[in-house]
Amino acid sequence: MLLQVEQLRTYLHLRRGVLRAVDGVSLHVAEAETLGLVGESGSGKTMTGLSLLRLLPRGAGRIEGGSIRLDGQDLTALTEADMARDIRGRRIAMIMQDPMTSLNPVFSIGDQVAAPLRYHDIASGAVLRSQVIDVLKRVRIPSPEQRLGDYPHQFSGGQRQRIVAAMAIGCTPRLLIADEPTTALDVTIQVQIISLLKRIQQDAGLGIVLITHDLGVAASLCHRIAVMYAGQIVETAPVRAIYKAPAHPYTQALLAAIPRLHATERRLTAIPGQPPSLIDPPEGCRFAARCPHRMDRCAEPPPVVDLGNGHSAACWKLAA
Amino acid sequence: MLEADAITKHYRTSRGTVRAVEGVSFSLPKRGTLALVGESGCGKTTIAKMVLLLERPSGGAIRFEGQDIATMPRLALKAYRRRVQAVFQDPYASLNPRLRVGRIIAEPILAHERPGRAALDKRIAEVLDIVGLPAAAARLYPHEFSGGQRQRIAIARALAPRPELMVLDEPVSALDVSIRAQVLNLLQDIQDEYGLTYLIIAHDLALVQHFSSSVAVIYLGRVAEAGPTGPVFADPRHPYTQALLAAVPLPDPDHVLSEAAAAGEIASALHPPSGCAFHPRCPHAFAACPASVPPPHAVADGHIAACHLLQETHA
Repeated sequence: MLLQVEQLRTYLHLRRGVLRAVDGVSLHVAEAETLGLVGESGSGKTMTGLSLLRLLPRGAGRIEGGSIRLDGQDLTALTEADMARDIRGRRIAMIMQDPMTSLNPVFSIGDQVAAPLRYHDIASGAVLRSQVIDVLKRVRIPSPEQRLGDYPHQFSGGQRQRIVAAMAIGCTPRLLIADEPTTALDVTIQVQIISLLKRIQQDAGLGIVLITHDLGVAASLCHRIAVMYAGQIVETAPVRAIYKAPAHPYTQALLAAIPRLHATERRLTAIPGQPPSLIDPPEGCRFAARCPHRMDRCAEPPPVVDLGNGHSAACWKLAA
Repeated sequence: MLEADAITKHYRTSRGTVRAVEGVSFSLPKRGTLALVGESGCGKTTIAKMVLLLERPSGGAIRFEGQDIATMPRLALKAYRRRVQAVFQDPYASLNPRLRVGRIIAEPILAHERPGRAALDKRIAEVLDIVGLPAAAARLYPHEFSGGQRQRIAIARALAPRPELMVLDEPVSALDVSIRAQVLNLLQDIQDEYGLTYLIIAHDLALVQHFSSSVAVIYLGRVAEAGPTGPVFADPRHPYTQALLAAVPLPDPDHVLSEAAAAGEIASALHPPSGCAFHPRCPHAFAACPASVPPPHAVADGHIAACHLLQETHA
């Protein structure tokens, strides 16, 4: 297995208390597979992604337990120097939401795409230049030879996200974490970046963790989906099963709450209430307070029920 | 109720003239919901600003009940400012953090009338109740509420002076999926109950289809296609509308996304392409497209599309 995460717990130590951002998350990603981490803001999906790179908020964020294995090697046991030298940007790369903030406005894009290759001693001199041109070609930047000296503001939003992707794949990583990579883009540009990510994956066989709140984007890119709610994975399944046969009440509610193109319903099925605070989360099922199927047993932590064919969900209703 | 007649808005900048809005016309009947859709920079928010008197059109006219809002007499204009209210995208930015919720809701009322203390409190409690918040919320500050609750407060504020037209600028795009449905349902209930007319600005096509009765698809400051929402979405006639709809990722793993429908990038309103502004990205472009701006062509009852392709086939 390319990536195997077991019982990961990442807490944020804040002044108002300990926030259990990631609270017992287990997941895996195979080579050439895209796993979608789907959830709403505050569900812990971004913190899970940052934990894989050990890029947590300085001082406040700590991995409290669990393991993160990349090709069998436990990343939680590595020193910061090892993470920086061998893992970050080298074997695990990341694409963030807003290409305007992940690119430095005062460096040319040639310099920025070259930086990880230089840092990891992969190339220098003329070889470096030709590798930079090559990777920019792979993300379909037109005539990259002439544009190496240009700055981020000289590119459109979609092109900037292509440049960010070029920085990420330059060192041929094994795993790519893409955190809302198309959220800041318009829909006709978004579709271009979605197919770029698919092509990158086919070319390099890399595993992708796609973090998104958009169930449409997840459906178009992912092989498997893990649905997060309040710091935990509530359901995980192959992509078809999540959309055609969602088992967890939260997944069902989420799918019923989105307006759909070419559907005629006049009313959306809203989910009442809001997610619980993760500073003092409920003991039992965290969705129980909003769940239409709530029963007495939901006051205890729900078991993860195996539904077969790689489909599982944490819900008492399914255990019965 | 509301009518835009060939409105334009040009901004002069040091780099040239930005043609943000270039001859947009639409009409919005009472109790109707018109959605303006399009990608960033297409001019949809500029149009909303002109309706709200936050910007003045460079040309054309916006008429409210037949009266040009640019030349309205003072009293009618004051009434217009009360009768038209707005809800904006970000409830974190649109509510003053230093004011209590009661005061926030009172402001648009006090701008138009001088009710007594008791009457004012009663009205505040009323609108809070409409949006599903307790009367006690009036004593709290915006930071004490979640994003969805804040958007309810923003809706309560807009309702407070008893408006007839509401401009909704991306009213749910800052909210989470599960909260979005609550707020959309609330907006629909209020519309049914109080007979409101909505002008909604949105980029989410599924939402627009769900929420609006008519739609205008805007590309680089011009209406590409407009009409009743059902027919426009079921049978889009402009290649840009077709491209937009094809590019929406659906929550269905069997759906195949089409990248081919709109190649390349959105041009700048500073240097819009000649003729039909969509022609550099259009898979069907031919000689006429860069040569002249296609006039709106009626394809069905109330359904228009501005595309040379339609002129040719119907000629």
